[in-house]
Amino acid sequence: MSDTFSYLLMAWLDPGLLGLTALGVLAGIYIGAIPGLSVTMAVSILISFTFAWDINNALALMVGIYVGGVYGGSRTAILLNIPGAPSAVTTAFDGYPLAQKGEAGRAIGLSTVMSVIGGLIGVAVLAGTAPHLADLALQFAPRDYFLIAILGLLLVSSLSGKSLARGIFSVALGATIGLVGMDMVTAQPRLTLGSMELLGGIHYVVVMIGLFGVAEAFYQLHNMAKVPVKQKVDKIIPPLNMVLKFLPLSIRTSIIGVVVGALPGTGGDIASLFAYDHAKRTVKNPSTPFGEGAYEGLVAPETANNAAVGGAYVPMLTLGMPGDAVTAVIIGALVIHGLNPGPMLMIETPHIFWFTVGNLALANIFLLVFGLTGIRIFSKIVEVPKAIMIPLILVLCVVGTYSLNSNMMEVYWMLGFGILGYWLKVFGFQMGPIILGVILGPLLDESYRQAMSSVGDRGGDFLLALVANPLSLVLTTVIALVLLGNTPLKGWLVGRFQRN
Amino acid sequence: MSKKIEQTQAGEKVFDWLLLLFSVGVLVEAFRIDGGLRLNSAGSFPVGLALVMLASSIAILFSHRRKRRDPRIRSALHECQVFLHEHFQPHIVVFSVVSVIYLAAIIWASFYISTFIFLAAMFIYYRQGRIISSLIITSLAIAVIYVLFTMVFRVYLP
Amino acid sequence: MFKPLLTGLAVAAGTLALTGNALAEYPERNIQGTIQWGAGGATDNVVRSLTPHVEEILGTTIVLTNRPGGTGVIGMNHVMRQRPDGYNLLFGAENPQLYPLMGLADFTYDDMHAVNIIGQGLVVIATHPDSPFDTFAELLEYANENPGELRMGGTGAGGLPSTIHAMINAVGELDVRTVTFGGDGPGVTALLGEHIDFMPLSLSAVAEQIRGGRLKGLAVLNSEELEELPGVPPITEALPDIESFLPWGPFWGVFVHQDTPDDIKTILEDAYQQAVASDGFQEFLENFGGTTLNLSGDAAQQYLDNWQSVTAWSMYEAEAVETSPEELGIPRP
Repeated sequence: MSDTFSYLLMAWLDPGLLGLTALGVLAGIYIGAIPGLSVTMAVSILISFTFAWDINNALALMVGIYVGGVYGGSRTAILLNIPGAPSAVTTAFDGYPLAQKGEAGRAIGLSTVMSVIGGLIGVAVLAGTAPHLADLALQFAPRDYFLIAILGLLLVSSLSGKSLARGIFSVALGATIGLVGMDMVTAQPRLTLGSMELLGGIHYVVVMIGLFGVAEAFYQLHNMAKVPVKQKVDKIIPPLNMVLKFLPLSIRTSIIGVVVGALPGTGGDIASLFAYDHAKRTVKNPSTPFGEGAYEGLVAPETANNAAVGGAYVPMLTLGMPGDAVTAVIIGALVIHGLNPGPMLMIETPHIFWFTVGNLALANIFLLVFGLTGIRIFSKIVEVPKAIMIPLILVLCVVGTYSLNSNMMEVYWMLGFGILGYWLKVFGFQMGPIILGVILGPLLDESYRQAMSSVGDRGGDFLLALVANPLSLVLTTVIALVLLGNTPLKGWLVGRFQRN
Repeated sequence: MSKKIEQTQAGEKVFDWLLLLFSVGVLVEAFRIDGGLRLNSAGSFPVGLALVMLASSIAILFSHRRKRRDPRIRSALHECQVFLHEHFQPHIVVFSVVSVIYLAAIIWASFYISTFIFLAAMFIYYRQGRIISSLIITSLAIAVIYVLFTMVFRVYLP
Repeated sequence: MFKPLLTGLAVAAGTLALTGNALAEYPERNIQGTIQWGAGGATDNVVRSLTPHVEEILGTTIVLTNRPGGTGVIGMNHVMRQRPDGYNLLFGAENPQLYPLMGLADFTYDDMHAVNIIGQGLVVIATHPDSPFDTFAELLEYANENPGELRMGGTGAGGLPSTIHAMINAVGELDVRTVTFGGDGPGVTALLGEHIDFMPLSLSAVAEQIRGGRLKGLAVLNSEELEELPGVPPITEALPDIESFLPWGPFWGVFVHQDTPDDIKTILEDAYQQAVASDGFQEFLENFGGTTLNLSGDAAQQYLDNWQSVTAWSMYEAEAVETSPEELGIPRP
């Protein structure tokens, strides 16, 4: 027991580890904030960099970057409506309207505090229930992933502004973009129009940078003359009563975040979507309507995506299976340092587990410190005149896209998606559903085909399986409820109920 | 769910027809993947998604019946003029054209040189002169990109 | 307003052409490494362990990206389409040698340059611990009585499981449902959750899981029991005729574009030769259930040709594939 405790506090007491964690968090915030620079890439670069180091030092730096990076994505989402990472797409829904009202400082402050709360809840769940949660995550069969993806798509369309038909079109368009490329099972080219370049598919970050960055830049050309909103920077740290008010919501969304994060194959992007939708459904009287700068719409995704970090470590530390791309890279780091990630890791080297738990908690504390300092300067970005901002955004989009794969072709596609996005935006389509469609489309296709093959391609058995297993039944019921809630049937049912 | 009749924007109907056309194109491509509709194959989902797109774009077109054109727009020709005026203002056209030239230039003139010229040209154009300050801002921006990407993250830029 | 701009560009292009000749020493920047298979699989683990040793020797960073899908065609196609400047490496497994045979693509490793054939692995057919089967013979018996019932994890046409499946079908009969995953990693996860019944896997991908009791080995693709996996019978106990294919194993290698300048090829070959031979990596590979090959140049080419001809012809003779290797110019072993 005392051993556990000393491992847990190791990162807190050693000045070297303390410094490395802090450095990681600080670097992570900026890496996360720049679209195109991903945490996965930063951590992979670190592996070679830290090769000769002591394992604890290497892990401390990586944990710091991971935690800082997941949070950093929200910065540009709030300030420029360009999410730094896919997990911050939903943050932009309400974060950007807040910045336009001059509340960028407050929005960043709140998102920082909430990210830390989410992160800490994630760590607590990791520490308390890792083995059980890992077993729960393994229970998810391909058909359950299929149901999760369906649920995700349904939520997206309900999130999409004024017209449901437009929302559904956007999601389907996104999912179609996500399916371009070679089929996983048969290796047939799909929707590539004979292009070799398209065989490998279109990276979702390319689509994201185009739709959010370039489209936004073009859109803003319309009101070049408009003087940027003066940002209020006096009340940055959210008052305690505000934090307390959102605490129940943040705990619920954090739990969503941890569970979704623990599923191998789904991460912060899908977690934040579910959390946002949860907030939209359960909060009856938001501070302002959702989509127009509701604090609740900021709290939910920010807590969830940071809680997902703790979740992603669950299958990695207990089973040696990565929960997302970053933990996959960290598994590589463990292997290089002579450890064997697998089910024996927790039994043979428990110190790695407890060290990581303590270190994650520490990284969240640093997140609070670094997140709340420097907001004043950051929120001034919004005040930069458009004449300077717009060309810079385009350059940033180019650099960000190119650093993904060093592929100029992807930069051209990015510009193409930007122009497409501009027109879609002009005619009332939302960008969020498209990009989430790109992320969910392949998951949907893959899990559907796995589930179908599992029952020997018999459609009847497939449908039966969706209700025969307790876990699948729960998911199917949720989908049915969402569907009911979105159709006129709901009004009819409620009407009948009231008459009785 | 307001009862107010929504107004369409100039060009909206044409755009929505284009989406319908696009959906049909995707459907045709999707059908070609395995030449028919099957329950579990490479083409199942693309076909399904194309059908969803087709259905929703038809629904979007139907929604036009509940909308009407801006009363100030008198005829199709006038709508066309409004559309051009809204989306093809000189500074938007210049930005689009220069952006395309910039992307094309990256390959044969290296990233930093073309970015410098692009930024400087756009700043000077949008800020109506003020050449010196524009050049200073450009240099600063380039320096930041160089330090951040080339030195810190060691990203190779063409 | 474009005129000064264009002149500027022209001047810039001129300067670039002048400086272009005096290129600095290779490598002067990050190298992009593409892994053909998903994160957490055997290829991924081998590559991620080897890379730091190479980085140390080359003095640069190799940024690794997983590009799984299409039995590795997507990753390989990506690297082949990059500039042949030595800054794009492909880390692949055995599959490309069978692409034309399987009709997946018209290229093989012959269309790239082999920097190093790192090592060779062993195959184990694994199941979850609650499975009613303890040996592969029991599984085969059940599958013959209930054709099309069991669920086998696969990684797409031409992947390791499909090759093994073809070999088994060549000498016996195994009628199962194939559930395709993006690589060993997601397949193992599904096996842990009992969503599939069994999966042929690289020993390296499951050694830890079997050691930790989370998975159970049914058979190893070998003619004798392995020291590393006591208690797991050789596959020849269930299917004696499969002996003719053995010894057989998947391999891992590093490849670059064929048109890469020769001096860069040499630098890479030397670096990889040293890295694979390093104590750190050797120790890892041994733990991981792999055998070192460390082949480059002609030896690597010979190994690749031999592997291709043995596998392709045995599969053809077993009627597992329709295309004759002869049509593809693959000589008889």
